[in-house]
Amino acid sequence: MKPTSLRARLRWLIVIVLVAVLVPLGVLSFQRTIKEVDELMDGRLAESARTLEVLIQHTGISSLSGQDGRGDLVPVPNETAIKLARSKHAYTYEAEVGFQVFDSLGRPMLATANVIDLPAPQPGDADFQDLHTGQYNWRVYTLRDVAEGVTIRTAERYDSRNGILHALWLDHGVPLVIGLPLLALLVGWAVKRGLQPLASLAQALSSREPGSRKPIHLGQAPLELQPVLAALNGQLERQEDALERERRFSADVAHELRTPLASIMINLESAIATSNLTEAQDSLAGAQHSVAALARRIEQLLALARLEAGVASGQRTAIDLVEVASDVIEELTTIIADSGVQLDFMQQSPQVIVQGYEAALAALLRNLIENALRHVPQGGQVQLIIEQGAKEATLDVIDDGPGIPAEQRAAVFARFHREKSSRGDGYGLGLSIVQRAAELHGASIELLDSPFGTGLRVRVAIPLGE
Amino acid sequence: MHIILVEDDTQLGAAIQRALERLAYTVTWLHDGRAALIALRDETADLVLLDLGLPGKDGLEVLIEARRNNIKTPVLVMTARDTLEARVAGLDAGADDYLIKPFHLDELGARIRSLTRRMQGLAANRIEVGALSLDLGTSEVSFRGERVELTRREFSLLQTLMERAGRLVRRESLENSLYGLDNAVGSSALEVLVHALRRKLSFETIQNVRGFGYMIPREPK
Repeated sequence: MKPTSLRARLRWLIVIVLVAVLVPLGVLSFQRTIKEVDELMDGRLAESARTLEVLIQHTGISSLSGQDGRGDLVPVPNETAIKLARSKHAYTYEAEVGFQVFDSLGRPMLATANVIDLPAPQPGDADFQDLHTGQYNWRVYTLRDVAEGVTIRTAERYDSRNGILHALWLDHGVPLVIGLPLLALLVGWAVKRGLQPLASLAQALSSREPGSRKPIHLGQAPLELQPVLAALNGQLERQEDALERERRFSADVAHELRTPLASIMINLESAIATSNLTEAQDSLAGAQHSVAALARRIEQLLALARLEAGVASGQRTAIDLVEVASDVIEELTTIIADSGVQLDFMQQSPQVIVQGYEAALAALLRNLIENALRHVPQGGQVQLIIEQGAKEATLDVIDDGPGIPAEQRAAVFARFHREKSSRGDGYGLGLSIVQRAAELHGASIELLDSPFGTGLRVRVAIPLGE
Repeated sequence: MHIILVEDDTQLGAAIQRALERLAYTVTWLHDGRAALIALRDETADLVLLDLGLPGKDGLEVLIEARRNNIKTPVLVMTARDTLEARVAGLDAGADDYLIKPFHLDELGARIRSLTRRMQGLAANRIEVGALSLDLGTSEVSFRGERVELTRREFSLLQTLMERAGRLVRRESLENSLYGLDNAVGSSALEVLVHALRRKLSFETIQNVRGFGYMIPREPK
């Protein structure tokens, strides 16, 4: 299907509207004019009758007495003479006229030759009549009982009147007939001109580099295009943000994996190069630590991947947070024991049920607890509290470690931010897992002051849903 | 030679420090960007090894700010950011070299030597002054054709003096180069080291301007 053109559409709509208004207006105005012209001419006919009346009264009726029963004939110039006269003086609206005078008995007394064939006036005739002679139509005015029962008739040939109407029609119609196509052309130009910003937008869009996500700028976007531009730029910005997050994430992953790898390489090479046994042992221990760190980070990445995959395929089910937490703590037993930190799990009720994804919630809990353990020095304590509220279930992980200054808390989740106190221990990855898992459950994460005085309270609130 | 190492990973930091110290460098290890910037401002280091993914202040910001403050200390960036854009950004920010993690110790050593040479205006690893010859690559020293075994610090001291042969090197500068930011070193440590070095070479090799510093003359007797 051929795409509809906004420009053609607008042009046609405007032209149709113009025709719909202008043509009836013209017809109406033409009709009014015809009526006015008719009245004007009729008036002139009546006027001529009055003039005759005055003349007859002045000269007396006796002067008009006819001899042959047909009355006197007033000669009229023949048509060619009239045409000649008209071309000389150019009276456009000079009409072919005639008159008749009848006595009280209806006998013709005086008449112009051109109207001699008109039927005699009848008593019931209207003032104005349309009558015919052989080949012409006449407009006739009858004036009765002027003096001594005399009747005067004035007549005008319709074709003269039609000539005037014809001229008037030309005056009205021709501009309309010529004007409308011209108008259509001008409307076309105006529409094109008016839609110029659209063309500019198209130009701006088509001249962009492929894949560019820079915002689009039009010098002065009209009001109607602004929401389009805003929506477009908003979309581009979101795309850019998503890509930027993706870039940051992969840069972060690279850092998290390559750093321990670098440490392993340097440590092993040092151990091989040195002849000092203590130094070699230190290096090997360092390499061992880094291998463990690398393994943990790979586990975290796998957890993140599993989390995404599980969500893509799975449905939300009813999950008991207390049970998930117990499983996670059991898994972490060795790490908890090694850390020398006291971990307390406080549950309000034997079950706290939320709708969600088990693997994601487990990953969230595991990372929160691991982070807390890592930031708390030996002999410190970590508390996990699970509570069920009216609208949400809350998970609180509280520690008495160094904490995060209030002014830096907002930034922690903003990017794959790395806290000053953390010494590059995969904190970034752990947090992105926590963040992603919370996001999947529509849960909020808050970083609050710890009731221990120092340390951090991480609160995750999971809405209970329908 | 004094190197500031800025690395937040505990294991990698410790590994590099151990390895470089074995190569007779003096290493000060800092863990975050802010501390690195403060240390850079003092301009006591001969070289900075800078990780980019740092907590507190990103390594790239540290570098840009240092260069803006007209600090000319050579900086070798070590990072996991391996994209072309990242490398260009790093070099444009004022890095003298760019090393991508993970890297081999040998390569790190070679790049440090290369930067050092560039810094000294040298073309090769071997420095020769009169009868003295010092190889930065193999850490070997020979005097009058005979190989001399030196400790790390002795080697480092000799290297510094040979690099500036014919010029007087102030003792603060030597102490800084040898002991870094370690203030616990006694004031006689340098004298002891010079004494040991003179014993292994010859007394006249190192000349002394009392209370001011030491020098190796261009043509030692």
